[in-house]
Order: sequence, then structure tokens, then C-alpha cells
Amino acid sequence: MPPFEKTQHPKPFKQRKSLATRKQEVAGIRTKFPTKIPVIIERYQREKYLPPLDKTKFLVPQELTMTQFVTIIRNRMTLMPNHAFYLLINNSGIASMSLTMAQLYKDYKDEDGFLYMTYASQEMFGHSENVVYGHR
Amino acid sequence: MNSVSPSSVQYIVSGGAHEDKPPAQSKHLLGHGSVTDDIQESSGELDEVDRLKAKFMSAWNNVKYGWAVKSKTAFNATSPLILMGQSYVFNTEDEVDRFRQMFVSCVWLTYRREFPQLEGSALTTDCGWGCMLRSGQMLLAQGLMRHFMPPDWRWADCHPLSDVDFEVLRPRSPSRPAGMSLPSFTSSWSSPVAQRNPSSSSNEGQKRVPRQHLSVSQNPQVETFHRKVVSWFGDQPSAPFSVHQLVELGKESGKKAGDWYGPSVVAHMLRKAVAKTKESENVAVYVAQDCTIYKEDVMQLCNSVESSDPGWKSVIILVPVRLGGDSLNPSYIECVKNILRLKCCIGIIGGKPKHSLFFIGFQDEQLVYLDPHFCQPVVDVTQGNFSLESFHCNSPRKMNFSRMDPSCTIGLYARTKNDFECLCSAVSDALSLSKEKYPIFTFVEGRGQNYGLEEHSEGPVDSTSHFIPFNRQRRSNKRGSADDFVLL
Repeated sequence: MPPFEKTQHPKPFKQRKSLATRKQEVAGIRTKFPTKIPVIIERYQREKYLPPLDKTKFLVPQELTMTQFVTIIRNRMTLMPNHAFYLLINNSGIASMSLTMAQLYKDYKDEDGFLYMTYASQEMFGHSENVVYGHR
Repeated sequence: MNSVSPSSVQYIVSGGAHEDKPPAQSKHLLGHGSVTDDIQESSGELDEVDRLKAKFMSAWNNVKYGWAVKSKTAFNATSPLILMGQSYVFNTEDEVDRFRQMFVSCVWLTYRREFPQLEGSALTTDCGWGCMLRSGQMLLAQGLMRHFMPPDWRWADCHPLSDVDFEVLRPRSPSRPAGMSLPSFTSSWSSPVAQRNPSSSSNEGQKRVPRQHLSVSQNPQVETFHRKVVSWFGDQPSAPFSVHQLVELGKESGKKAGDWYGPSVVAHMLRKAVAKTKESENVAVYVAQDCTIYKEDVMQLCNSVESSDPGWKSVIILVPVRLGGDSLNPSYIECVKNILRLKCCIGIIGGKPKHSLFFIGFQDEQLVYLDPHFCQPVVDVTQGNFSLESFHCNSPRKMNFSRMDPSCTIGLYARTKNDFECLCSAVSDALSLSKEKYPIFTFVEGRGQNYGLEEHSEGPVDSTSHFIPFNRQRRSNKRGSADDFVLL
């Protein structure tokens, strides 16, 4: 897949909306769908290879495992299974794939009530700098 | 930092271009009676002069620079160093030597120049772009060496280490514990002049090489295999794991010669390369999907009926992961260490940002690695007696965990079915020991296809594609809040 170089990055969701607004949104949607988990999925700020998603807010069944959730997102992006794709919780850790959304939500939900995830592929490596191995 | 180490100055003084070493030099530390005797007999007066010169230069450097030359990699005498699942504590010279043999025996693959043109491009070198391919090759080579060579095999022709500073070998160091035998003043670990001089160094070797290592494999058949495995990575289109082959296989993933590669793409290229070749029929490569190793899938792969040997195929398991966003999540450091401690671990391909490295161990907060960023002229591996020297590294390097790029691929190896079962439990244990609550990857019974979307596809999943063409990108917060949610 060619790099998406011209993609502009929208501001992160948290910066677009105030804490109060976000809390309100969660409260609203939780009364409507009490068994679903509100998840924010955003593209990693420096992601070059994965396409942007048109939606950031997802309502996910709580019994869904990470494996299933990742597969759904992969399918939405029409990614090959071989294509590197990682969902980072709070932009730092990878969640174990066997966990359910309910477990994740319990441990990692934000103060506003959303569960935040970032998706990223892997970095590429290539470097012209040569290292000196003097004595060979 | 010193840009030129005193020992490299020394090297230039002694008239050495890099390739001018006499062929016998690399054997000098062996301590195999016959070899050293031969060398001693052939050494003449000239060697004696060289030896004195070496002693003088070494003494001079010790006076001038003390024992803190910055360009050297320092290894302390107290913290265990883990290399390929083995632990070394450098409080004796024997231990340093054990480490040396293990380190130098690892296959080192670097940038090469002047190799046959890569198909579909004008490139005859991978300098500046192929470092991740080289790291990937090193990981596969490590797996294949583990597979084909006896476990106690060490490369008999291995070199002394260079650019290293072992606390225990420091001459007259005040911190040296009492009663430790003093290494002689000429340190053959760091003196290239000594390297050039078989006579002086064989004396060293006899003193230094401990008895228990005299069993270093010299079995010609085993050595033939060593050579064979290395030749599979030779830089020509016909070699099964050459850069040429890998680049060809990478085209299926939309890559081409000259592109930069990532540790996940490379894992899949290695899998395809191994599946394609007849050379390594009884070993297979499995690549984890979404940080999950599906045990049933591994079983299936290893029990493959296509194999000429109806038994169990050995397996190299590659797990591509991303251990953080911008940088390595520090809570995973302990986990990476735990994995490197395992006997079944064959290394990790990753690097510093943009700069790929093959991680093979650690000491304290530093990773030990092999660096492919060294452009060497191509070696024609079709020549039966090609030189193995440039395929092994004698300069172990370290870097801080904090500089590790979060993108990497972890390599594991299991020879038998039983080994695989042990691997599953050992790796699971290692992963669960980390500070982070959840492991970075998991083992799951059953097959990958059973865990995918199938179970849930009946749900109200909107099947329309949700990724927009770039030219139509717009803010997604235009509509009311509740409608904005995608209901899964």
C-alpha cells in the first residue's frame, strides 16, 4: 500500500471537544445503549501507511474481544491480514487480543467515559549512515 | 567522543588496510594445541618485533588513555549479560571467553555492494535502504543455525573481540577484585596489532582459553553446514534467502528494491522465502496474526504432509509487535528482557528509529545488538571456500532500551512438538511477569480463522466501506452527536 503522504491530521478528539461535552456525549449514549461501550478510534498522528477512518466514535458490544474488534476495523479499511495493524490503548500499550471490551473499558476508560484507542502500523527502517567497524 | 580510537590509530600505524590480515590470524585464540603449535613454528623474528611493538603501543595507550576509551563498548563485571538466552557474568576471563565464542558465532549480515543487479532496478547494493532486510536475514540465520547446528557449536575460527572494554580484563584496575588472575599487559581483546601477530597472540591464547572450551566444534561436517547456511544468505538471485529473493517476495506486499522495510513486512517475506525453498524442508516459519499465536495453526504448519519427513517440522515463530506510539512504552522493557532471557528466543529485529538493528541480548538497561550498517564488498558464496570472516562480527555493541523503536518482530524457535509446548508455557510466563497488566502477545488454542469476524458478522455491521478517499476528507463532527457513533 502506498504511503498516504498528503493526509492532513485532524485535531485529536479530545482537543476538539471540552471535557464537559465529551462527558455529556457519553452519558447520552450510555442511557440509549447501556450495554455498548463508547470507543474513540483515531489514527496515530505520524501514521503514513494506514488509511484514515471516516468515523472516530464506535459503540462496541461489551463481550466483543479485541481480536474481533481488530478484525472489524481491519475489514473497514480493507486491509490484508498480513498488513501490520495495531490498536494502542491510550496511545501507548497494546491490549491483549483475548480481552473483551468490557475488561478493557474497566481498566482503561478515560475520565470522560470514552475508551481511547489509536491505530498504527509499523515504522519502516532504512539508513544510509554507516557504522564504523574499525578493526575488520 | 573520540572519533578515532587509539587502537585504530595503532592499526593504521601498523600499516593495516582492513583486509590485510594474514589468513591465520583469526585462529590465534583457539588454544587447540595443533593449530597454535603450527602458528608458533611458522612465526619468525619479525613476529617478535611485532610483539614488542604491540606491547609498547598497548602500554602507551594505557598511559595515554587510561582504561576509559569512549569508543569501546564497556561490559561491567557484576551484572549478568544475556545473549541468546544464555547468561554471562564477566567476573572471570573464562566467562568473557565463553561470551566471545557465542557472540562471534552469530551470523552477521550487513549491507553489501557490487552484487548482481536487483531485478527491476539498477541497484547493485542495499546500502542505505536494506538494513531491515539484513536484520531479518540475521534473525532467520540465527533460527537456522539453531536448527541445523549442534547446540554447543561455536565457530572455531572466531576472532578476538575488538572495541570492547571488559571491566575484568582491565589492566591494574583498582576495582579489580583481589586474587583474580591478571591478564597480561598486551590485551589481545583490543589490540589489532596483536591480532596481526600470530606468535604473540597464540601465547596469549594458550594462557587464556580455558580447558572446558577445547571442545569447540571442529567437526568438518558441521563446519560444512555452517558454510552452507551462510551461503543461503549470499547476495545473488539464486540463494534462497538472499536480498534478491526477499526483494522479489516483497513485491507482493507492494515493496520494491530501494524501499524501506518494516519488521512485520520482513517477517512475512521470511515466511514466504522459507516456504518456497527446498533447502530447509524440515523447518517452517509461522508469523503471528494480530499479536496472537494460534496453536492449532502452528500444529497444522508443522505437521504438513508436504514435508518429505512425515514427522514434526521445526518452527520459527515470528511475532510482529508495536510496543508503543512515538516511543517504546517503558513498561514493556522488562517484558523484552524476559523474552531475551528465554532459551527459545532467537533475537528481535527492530532498531532505533529509522536504523534497523538485530537485538540479541542485554546487560542492565542496554540492549546488545548486531548492526547491519556496515557496507562490505560482496562475497561470492558459490566459491566453495569463500571467506566466512565478513559474516561474523567481533565487536559487540550496546544501546539503551529507551532508544528502541517500538516497532519490532520477536523471533522464537522450537525444534520438536514438545519444545513447542514448552515454548508456549515459557513465553506466556515471561510475558505475564512484566509490569504491564496485559501481555504484549498471546497464545490461543485453536485456529485463527475461528477467532475472526465470522462469529460476529451476523451483527449489525455496516458493510459499506468506511474509509474515505482523501480528496473527500472532512471533519467528522459536523453531524449531531448520537448519529456520529458507529454501532457495532
